[in-house]
Amino acid sequence: MTKGLWTRETVALLLLAAHGPLALMWVWYGGALSRLVLALVVIGGWQLVFMLARAQAPSLAALVTALAIAMLAPQDLGVLRLSLGITFGVVMGELVFGGWGRNVVHPATVTLAFLGFGFPAFAWPGFDAPVGWAAIPAALIGCVTGVMPVGVIGGALVVGGGAALTGALPEPVLLAGGVVLVLLVADPVTSAATTPARWVNGGLYAALLVLFHSGWDGAAPVQMAVAAALLASLAAPLLDEAALALWVARRRRRHGQS
Amino acid sequence: MEFVTTEEAAVQAPEGSALPITPLVAPGDRVLRGQAVASLRHAPGISLVSPITGTAAHVRLHPGRKLSEIVIYREQDGDAGAVRHDTAAAADDATDLRRLMQASGVWPLLRRRPFGGMPAAEEVPAAIVVMATDTRPGAPDPRRALAGREEDLGRGLAALGRLTDGPVVLCLPEGAEELLPTGVMPRLRPVIRGALHPQGASGICIHQLCPAAPEAPVWDMHAEDAAALGALLKKGVLEMSRLVRIGGAGLREGRSLRTHPGADLRQLTRRIVAPGGHVLLSGSPLDGRRVSWLGPRDRQITVLPEVPRRPPAHWLADALGHAPRGTPVIPTAALTQAFGAALPAAVFVRALGAGDEETALRLGLLSLLEEDVALADYVLGEGGQVMAQLRRILDRVQRETAA
Repeated sequence: MTKGLWTRETVALLLLAAHGPLALMWVWYGGALSRLVLALVVIGGWQLVFMLARAQAPSLAALVTALAIAMLAPQDLGVLRLSLGITFGVVMGELVFGGWGRNVVHPATVTLAFLGFGFPAFAWPGFDAPVGWAAIPAALIGCVTGVMPVGVIGGALVVGGGAALTGALPEPVLLAGGVVLVLLVADPVTSAATTPARWVNGGLYAALLVLFHSGWDGAAPVQMAVAAALLASLAAPLLDEAALALWVARRRRRHGQS
Repeated sequence: MEFVTTEEAAVQAPEGSALPITPLVAPGDRVLRGQAVASLRHAPGISLVSPITGTAAHVRLHPGRKLSEIVIYREQDGDAGAVRHDTAAAADDATDLRRLMQASGVWPLLRRRPFGGMPAAEEVPAAIVVMATDTRPGAPDPRRALAGREEDLGRGLAALGRLTDGPVVLCLPEGAEELLPTGVMPRLRPVIRGALHPQGASGICIHQLCPAAPEAPVWDMHAEDAAALGALLKKGVLEMSRLVRIGGAGLREGRSLRTHPGADLRQLTRRIVAPGGHVLLSGSPLDGRRVSWLGPRDRQITVLPEVPRRPPAHWLADALGHAPRGTPVIPTAALTQAFGAALPAAVFVRALGAGDEETALRLGLLSLLEEDVALADYVLGEGGQVMAQLRRILDRVQRETAA
């Protein structure tokens, strides 16, 4: 029998390729490579531990997680705090569930939420406009190769674009929101899995971003976006359940049975 | 197109059913084309018939008197006729039609869902789906197989309509409206299906058009077999000819021919395989099985070059590959398309992987068989276990329904 190529690692590689433009722009505009290296070392170490202790195959998706953490984590945290945050996020967010593909929340989202709540004194990073705009080719590559859910990005575009047109989202928030959308929200594993739920999931992320921008005083754009991403991905199973119930009900109405 | 009768042919149980049988011939007996060579042990009315005229060579049974194969050598001095059935009674009465189909060897060409296999003798289906389209890679074009046999097809469809109170769904490719029977058939439902696999896979069609359930089984049949049924009703003789496409990367050239079920795959491919080792599959490259004989329902022979044995992987990579829980499935657009966007693919595959029977049932598990999810297995590459998981969960549901 012949075999296709959509294994877990192919998807991870394509996701990595999709994030290529974003990573290049970030490095070009002075991204802290040292943080990327630190994140890679810490995640790699934990993957090794889980491989030896529980026979969990490591995944290249760790590179995506490391990139997201390096780009979005608060600045000047120091090695110890950052390592602590990454350890918590990667172990509790991904590895204890069985590795990439079985996790419920994106490990980078957990890391960033942990760092944001644990060390609120440190400043969140901002993005130069070219880095923010690099999210567009990233999303395009992801959608064309099919590794990023089109519905999530579409839903976020509809709601976020509408809000931007009415002036509810200024440019810094829009840029941070776009980068977080590509890095954390449009993850094939932790976003919703059914098409209608994906649109709602993306729309919910953008709506939360608008809500936080209007009501959360003193929060940085990236902080708001990460919080919105965390809540949107926690809502994903509920949205899926609702979409499935609708699908089954429609089918039952059409065929008289399930 | 030439009709090829192979020197040897085999009678086999239809795919998906291990049948306890009573052999009706002994080695050395002469058998006619269409003659019953075995009957089912628990339903003696249902016969398995010989596809060629010749001499029975051997009868091989598995433990429990389950049929492995009955091999027949072809008779050298031409085709000395076939078994003729009396079809007068079957023209009016549904019960007689059922008897005729069971005695003449049409019954094993039917397949039931849920769970697969041949339908029971007295089962009444909720619907019958006749597939005049086949989108599997390299499948022969049913329009070509049915050219000039529209009348037989119409008669066959009308006969199938007498076996069910539900609709007879005829799935057609685009631009094949000329196949539609002209007579008035109130319960015939023609449906045009797309050309991309799996839009023409029978399970996906059944899932979308008339889902199967334990109390509402759905049968499916290839349109060429329905035309053979129509011809049987007219002439009394079951045609054994079917259009078969031989394809695959292990060939010098592909070819189409007409042959009979149970044909010898080695003889059919002997002169066209490329040098070197190869693998013969009965069926498409996606769901084919490595066997010696053309399957009772198969219309495709795939020849693939033999994959050279890989050097053993590093012990650690090997150990990780054999971890009790393999790598998980990542939902992508490729996976959704592998199910023809007919159902929430990611949720379904996750439910199968987790053995979550309840969710799988809600999403339409009972309409599907292994061949319908073969594309998903292909798409997922080395990690694809969908066919095996589907069969495991179907077997469990079947046990629970029977209990």
